[in-house]
Amino acid sequence: MTTDPERSRRAGDLVTAAARGDDAAWKALVEQFSGLIWSVTRAYRLGSADAADVFQVTWLRLAEHIGRLDHPEHVGAWLATTARREAMRASRASARVVLTDDDAVFDAQEAGGETPEQAVLRSERADQLWRAFRTLPARCQLLLRLLMATPPPSYTEVAAALDRPVGSIGPTRARCLRLLREKLA
Amino acid sequence: MDDEPDDARLEEELRELAARLEPVPDRLVQAALDAYAWRTIDAELAELAELAFDSLADQDEAALVRGHQQERLLSFRASGLTIEVEVTAAGPARRMIGQLVPPQRAEVEIRHQDGVVTIATDEFGRFVADRMPAGPVSLRLGPVPGEGRSAVVTEWIPI
Repeated sequence: MTTDPERSRRAGDLVTAAARGDDAAWKALVEQFSGLIWSVTRAYRLGSADAADVFQVTWLRLAEHIGRLDHPEHVGAWLATTARREAMRASRASARVVLTDDDAVFDAQEAGGETPEQAVLRSERADQLWRAFRTLPARCQLLLRLLMATPPPSYTEVAAALDRPVGSIGPTRARCLRLLREKLA
Repeated sequence: MDDEPDDARLEEELRELAARLEPVPDRLVQAALDAYAWRTIDAELAELAELAFDSLADQDEAALVRGHQQERLLSFRASGLTIEVEVTAAGPARRMIGQLVPPQRAEVEIRHQDGVVTIATDEFGRFVADRMPAGPVSLRLGPVPGEGRSAVVTEWIPI
């Protein structure tokens, strides 16, 4: 992992530059953190309309707050926290969201013609891995789905997305990956 | 200590799978880039009105029992001004009925993903916006120099 202080400094510089009107800095922030915000919408299993709303509102909030952040270097955690709160609002608001029964979504996708997902899953290993992932306990899927973001998020950002202590991330990750390995064995 | 090579490899494999199965949709990346244009030029002068109440997220059991699920009540609070909005859905469109407290005449800009709708309040501080697109919105009120009130923008919220 890239060290947190290094990433934070860079992110803080981008926020400061974007607040001054630097388009390229905003673009760099979008490239750095879109994956993280999207992973929050996936981790909390929002439907596509809610996921789109949460993703967009999170970026609009940042645009509004860009010159007001107390700690520009913590923008990643700020975005993760904002996305989590909006995801919670959306899931409370929407009967479409089912937090525990993910198989229904999976099966529904399987019912139609071949989706891009199925095309990917024709690879045996990918199929095996995804199925094993989907049978992990909910809290493991939640954590791993965040860690699966591209580019990889920091533990601080993941902790913010979960509203959990940073110190809990490493041990939980190790436990969940071990469980996944057992399922694949 | 918690970063065994096997763990890192498996996590990377999951990351590649997620990137192929559930990539960030291109149109949303574009929306994130476009969001920058909404950064208000007077951002540092405008006061941010925070969402103080959202019936969807904050309603208690009593409200659920009363049961008007179709209408959603939002309340944004700035110093000396509260903006109350009732949102109703009509298919994909949204109707917003608003009230400024204390009541006052003002131009209310409703900012949404496709543009801005400007509506004047009546003498009682009320305004109505029909056929708003579903999705994120934010309200903006211009400054009232005579009364020393700066511009007010509300947090973005999906309706």
